[in-house]
Amino acid sequence: MKHWNKILAGVATGGLLISATAALAGEIRVGITMRMVSENGQRYGQMVMDEIDLINKAGGINGNTIKATLMNDECKSDKGVANANKLIFQERVHLLMGSTCSSVSLPIVDITAKAEVPQIIPHSTSAKITQKGSAWVFRVPVSGRYYGGVNAKYVGENIGKRIAYICAADAASQNECNGLQEQMKLQHGVDPVYVAQVQEKEVDFRTHMQKIKSAGVEGLMVSAQAETMSRALIQSYEAGIGSGVRRIGASMASNAPVPKIAGDSVKGVFYAAAYASADTRPIAKLFNEMVSKRYGVHAPDHDFSQAYDMIRIVEIALRSANLELSSSSLKSDRTAIRDAIANVKNYQGLASGPISFCADPTPQCRDGNRTPVLIAYKKGGEQFETEVLARVTMPIDFGL
Amino acid sequence: MGFDFNSLLAFIIFGLTIGVVYGIVALGISLIYSGLDIVHFAHGEVYMFGAFLGLVLSRDVGIPYPMALVGAMILAALLGVFIERVFYRRLTRSGGGYTVAGMGMIICGFGMSVALMNVAFLIWGADAEPFPVEFVIPPLEVNDISIPPSYLLTAVVSVFLMGVLNYFLRKTKYGLAIRAVAHNKDIAFLMGINVPMFISLIFGLACALAAAAGVLIGPMQSVQVEMGYLMLMKAFAAAVVGGFGSLPGALLGGVMVGVFENLGAAYISASHKDIYAFLLLILVLMFRPAGLFGVEAKVKA
Repeated sequence: MKHWNKILAGVATGGLLISATAALAGEIRVGITMRMVSENGQRYGQMVMDEIDLINKAGGINGNTIKATLMNDECKSDKGVANANKLIFQERVHLLMGSTCSSVSLPIVDITAKAEVPQIIPHSTSAKITQKGSAWVFRVPVSGRYYGGVNAKYVGENIGKRIAYICAADAASQNECNGLQEQMKLQHGVDPVYVAQVQEKEVDFRTHMQKIKSAGVEGLMVSAQAETMSRALIQSYEAGIGSGVRRIGASMASNAPVPKIAGDSVKGVFYAAAYASADTRPIAKLFNEMVSKRYGVHAPDHDFSQAYDMIRIVEIALRSANLELSSSSLKSDRTAIRDAIANVKNYQGLASGPISFCADPTPQCRDGNRTPVLIAYKKGGEQFETEVLARVTMPIDFGL
Repeated sequence: MGFDFNSLLAFIIFGLTIGVVYGIVALGISLIYSGLDIVHFAHGEVYMFGAFLGLVLSRDVGIPYPMALVGAMILAALLGVFIERVFYRRLTRSGGGYTVAGMGMIICGFGMSVALMNVAFLIWGADAEPFPVEFVIPPLEVNDISIPPSYLLTAVVSVFLMGVLNYFLRKTKYGLAIRAVAHNKDIAFLMGINVPMFISLIFGLACALAAAAGVLIGPMQSVQVEMGYLMLMKAFAAAVVGGFGSLPGALLGGVMVGVFENLGAAYISASHKDIYAFLLLILVLMFRPAGLFGVEAKVKA
């Protein structure tokens, strides 16, 4: 009898191990690290998880399910690096998605390059990300180098050449601020009238505004994250800088907290982004409705659209990748996923232009989206309104 | 940028308006230091909580802004009394200031800071909230300088609150008792003063002042859970410049920090604005280690 018990226990354990291995083998593990400290961040993080859930419910990827681990890096480099290490070395993910912030994505690029894990970036705009030359990184959003070019063209032709700049210290803000300054010099031969670097959480801009007011500028660029940008916009009017001085936002002006906090001060602010909720294409209307219904968002910003586009691109790549998904195939599966993403061409999604990647580890191949859309706020507050001014597809080598 | 008198005047006015706010937060820190012999590291979060309470009362409950200011001060005072009685009282009994329990209170202050921030995060989330207030008075125009009504109100209310506090402490029996407790708790107790009750009162008053600062700053800078840290740093600088424990010193320190950082930002570099408050702090401490109004005291061995 004792022998029978041992045999039965052995069979049961073996069965469990086999079924566990089978389950593991059929799983594509993806790790996601994003900034989810704001309500918006939590919502688009949730949207990514919901979309993955929908893919799984619809039968998964070629019969395999996606197992996603979502982590919050709070837009802090140290947390982002810790998340990436955990996802790569403990969770042993096949693919890493993230991060939201350039200052977080930049150090993660080095980690994924060394560990040879494909990384697809949903939001970060710093041009340096793809200029590092990693063969493992892909960027869904528009690079800051394109934003600088399109902003400078519009500013020089429609606003003027006497521009003041207030730039926050974070990587993305610096990148867009410097990009516009460089392009104003290149395209129009002008230097900034006033430049100030401020802390990321600066609250008092009155000294700057008084100096800018005295300098008699035609345009004022505020390149900062949403809350800081909103405060600067409000205080620019409080300091007496009239609406005749056009306000130029960084792409972060697209984030919903800006019109909510800045209120009427956001009216007339012009910025370049990757997506406009005022887009009239059917796909954009459907997306707006979906986000509004599911997450209660009045008008999704480009953080939502880029996260959504990233999932669709990942889905396309995973379906075309030849994955073994066994415990010994992690390295080859990661390589297969990287090559499959590099093969995504002419993806037509929510972005203003097509997204294409290729194999070379260069910005030309890895900055997938080259089409910024120029947007202006028509109305501030919770029920804000925007209008699309133009869409510009930039030359692939622009800004390099 | 060349010298322009109008601009100089504007920078000084901006410095004064933010400086008086630093001053009233520093007043609270100094009050607590006087009463409990501790530096209260959670005071920035009380300021943040006060701002949110004011926002809720004004925007969600719908009461007028001045009433919301008073309401937030009362609620923050109650919160302060609660914190003191529940968390700090036990440690106070074992001695404050330079004792081991005093160190425990400082650590407890750090813990309270994190706890209050997390509670605020759970209630109001991480997003910055606008604090819209319709001011009936137009901006004040002085030469080419436009001073918004929110700034004027901030300066006027801050100075008023300091005046009221000064009157309360100097001209009333309760104020005298508070000063006695601050001077020497043992002697105050022997004189028949209910020392624990007055320590609670001190804590409540300090928290009410922090809340007032939060509600006044709200319309100028929006309200968010992380707003307390920088204010705490500036208020500490103000309190140290003025002399820790000195109430007029806290006011003068606040104004000096506000004006100094604005002039530094205007004429040296605006990109490093936050450094000037601490430069001033170092300068003052080099020449007057106890601060401008502080009293040199022998430290217990």
